Amino acid sequence: MKIKFILNKNEVEIDANPMTRLIDVLREHFQLLGTKEGCGEGECGACTILLNDKPVASCIANLIHAENGVILTAEGIAKTKIGTLLIDCFDETNAVQCGFCFPGFLVSSYHYLKTDGEPNLEKIKIALSGNICRCTGYQKIFDSVLMACEKLDLS
Amino acid sequence: MKKAVKKFDARPKLNGSWKFLDDYSYENMIFGQLFYSTCHHGIIKNIIFPKNFDLNEFTIISAKNILGKNIVPEPVCDQPFMAEKEVMHFGQIILGIAHSDKKTLRDFVENIKVKYEKLSAIIDPKECLDNERNHFGKEILINHSNNEKNTGNYHKNIYYTQHQEQAYLEPQGAIAIYDETKKTMFVRVTAQCPFFVKSGVETIMGNAINEAIIETSEGIGGAFGGKEDFPNLLAGITSLLAYKSGKPVKIVLTRNDDIQITTKRHPSRIEIETWTNPLTQKIEKCNIDYRLDAGAFQTLSPVVMARGVLHVGGSYAIPNIKIRGRLFKSNTPSNGAFRGFGVPQALAAMEAHIDQIAIDLKIDPYLFRKVNLFKIGDEFPTTQKITENNLIDCLERVIKNSNYLSKKKEFAEWNKDNSNKKGIGISVGFHGGGFTGNGEKVLKSELKIIIEKNANVKIFVANTDMGQGAHTTLSQMFYETINHPKEKCRVQLPNTSKTPNSGPTVASRTIYIIGNLLQKLAREIQKKLNFENLESYVATHQNEFPREFRKVYIPDKSIVFDENNYVGMAYKDYSWAACVNEIYFHADTYKLEIIKSWNVFDIGKVVNQKIAEGQAEGGILQALAYANSEFFYKKKFGRVRNFTDYTLPTTLDVPEIDVEFIHTDNKIAKGLGEIPMDFPAPAVRNAFLNATGIFVDEYPLTPENIFNIIRSKNEN
Ligand code: FES
Ligand code: FES
Repeated sequence: MKIKFILNKNEVEIDANPMTRLIDVLREHFQLLGTKEGCGEGECGACTILLNDKPVASCIANLIHAENGVILTAEGIAKTKIGTLLIDCFDETNAVQCGFCFPGFLVSSYHYLKTDGEPNLEKIKIALSGNICRCTGYQKIFDSVLMACEKLDLS
Repeated sequence: MKKAVKKFDARPKLNGSWKFLDDYSYENMIFGQLFYSTCHHGIIKNIIFPKNFDLNEFTIISAKNILGKNIVPEPVCDQPFMAEKEVMHFGQIILGIAHSDKKTLRDFVENIKVKYEKLSAIIDPKECLDNERNHFGKEILINHSNNEKNTGNYHKNIYYTQHQEQAYLEPQGAIAIYDETKKTMFVRVTAQCPFFVKSGVETIMGNAINEAIIETSEGIGGAFGGKEDFPNLLAGITSLLAYKSGKPVKIVLTRNDDIQITTKRHPSRIEIETWTNPLTQKIEKCNIDYRLDAGAFQTLSPVVMARGVLHVGGSYAIPNIKIRGRLFKSNTPSNGAFRGFGVPQALAAMEAHIDQIAIDLKIDPYLFRKVNLFKIGDEFPTTQKITENNLIDCLERVIKNSNYLSKKKEFAEWNKDNSNKKGIGISVGFHGGGFTGNGEKVLKSELKIIIEKNANVKIFVANTDMGQGAHTTLSQMFYETINHPKEKCRVQLPNTSKTPNSGPTVASRTIYIIGNLLQKLAREIQKKLNFENLESYVATHQNEFPREFRKVYIPDKSIVFDENNYVGMAYKDYSWAACVNEIYFHADTYKLEIIKSWNVFDIGKVVNQKIAEGQAEGGILQALAYANSEFFYKKKFGRVRNFTDYTLPTTLDVPEIDVEFIHTDNKIAKGLGEIPMDFPAPAVRNAFLNATGIFVDEYPLTPENIFNIIRSKNEN
């Protein structure tokens, strides 16, 4: 079945089984390797993408869900202004360890900055609660997102 | 303050361009999967492949196809790559299977059926550890005692800890490519120790290959010990599939497979009896029985046990101490390395016991620790002398930072009028840096650097960066020593054909051993070439470059350790740490909530403050979850299956974590990798004791466990 959607600002079309997992479509068909598979069952958030402006675990979503929709992956977000601001802040605090979870955190943090952006720790914790990080203990991730919210406020 | 050095790999990791194992593809590559036992113990009667598949499309290997030896090289060589007739545990690999299409492969493997003749099995860690009959045989004895009399107050407890899953976020994986003309096997792998993987692949392939060349993926998505020895086995089987199929083969485990078949932290049973002098409040004598559940095979467990017994006496001056360490056998996958390596179990028991004694003696656990903590001139159970007082400094700092004394009073008042309870608890700990005893002598770690014509410095070490920032910190240690520009210095991706063997990435040794060695080499080069500025030296002496320099680690002659009697210097340097945790107990849901964790460390010289903080925070959270949520054993099934069952801490579970490194005169960077996981867990348990007065001898303190303890207390 032919399915069209917008991927990182480009119109794309793919002819595939509509039940193919979105993560496989992104990684295998479009070579967007920034979307990671940590668990394959919607628990870890490493595969988070934005589908129609909502964070979604792409390992439990199917191609059909993307039909005529809009997808943003970590690669796409990294090129936006807010994405760049977030990357600067994660870099500044030396938050990144193994990095496997970070594209997912980038997506969820971007969504928070877009939809709320208040430098409020409790809200940030809720916004990121679908993403697991085993390395960092989260402290520096919180610091980074708070920092990004504050910088966004100023600009 | 100088500006923090940033990690060179942070940005590519964030924008998704840094490559992890599954991000690599090769021409003609096919996919592999492992088929493993679902029987805890039994004899394989027959294997039935599903119909409606063309078997010729698949490459299938079993123990029979192994070209070398069917034994994974480990400190104890008792584990086969693949089961022959008898399976010893759930998750033991029986077949390796490859096919060009992932989905077909999965369907095929899921439908393979095996008939077993079932044999008796032990899967409950407590059942395993309580029964002397399950002892593997060998033991370690430390006897530093000249008083056979038992006098004073007597205190005795038995403590249990459970499995813990490393839960590195990137699952295990390997890609093997066979080169027929050169007879070499190239394996790309997500692993901590490339040279271990090399010996694994060379063992399974035997004379069929001349050499295995191992290179890690650019990114290693966490490891924590979990990628220390399992990758040898995985890479071995992947290689055999590549050899038999003639195509590159990639195996990436699903999370379910990864959780069920890979190594975990050893469950423990630790019995401690102590005699104290009621007048001086000093510990006079202590006997410890330290038992680990090794799983079905011993593999590297004796090494974990060795470290465990060397730390289980705690940080206390005990004039008479006997420690016995033993490994027990069960029908679960062999347990392996996990950050802390036997020490988290040791301190979970000893630090809980110390609080118990303090309560018996009616003295605050803080004051009791102060009286008994190591001071300069005291001795470890191995007779090694204590040469620094930094642990007491850590303890005093953490007491101050947390407001321990006033909080304790305040909570006691508050608890009188509330059914929910507040509590505060302490723990302290230490961790020896590098390998135990003579380990570093045997290893003769070597590293190399190449200075190029453009003054770029390439650093070659076998030690991997699995997120701990080792490659950033190592290059920082080099360029800061000779004032070279940061961008001109880079650690290369470990590859066994290009990198000398600087030893495995374990035992908190990368910065402590290899980093300090690299610094020495930097100073030597500067002295030898006699330059102020390397760049201008290279510019004016172009014909001397590129030039290679090597250095071998030679341990201090003063390090003498008698491995038969466990006497002498077990480790040259120790890191020290102290923790205070504050908790809130919800009486209606039995939930133990950790409110805040304060931690103070002595790790010698801190090379990169932010990287060190991040390492500490991550380890502390793993320890806190070890204390109150991560629980592996399931009654009926034996193991959890996935992240849905295994409760990893999320952003909503993590308390505020406070980390401080004390300043000392020490110029050496000591180990930091493991100690954050070692000591914070018992402070959770001790805080619960402080809050409720309820004695818990079993970790983790999940609502279910707490409920059971309270219920059985009420029944008695
Ligand atoms: S891989 Fe999708 S949530 Fe874990
Ligand atoms: S940095 Fe490793 S899982 Fe988050």
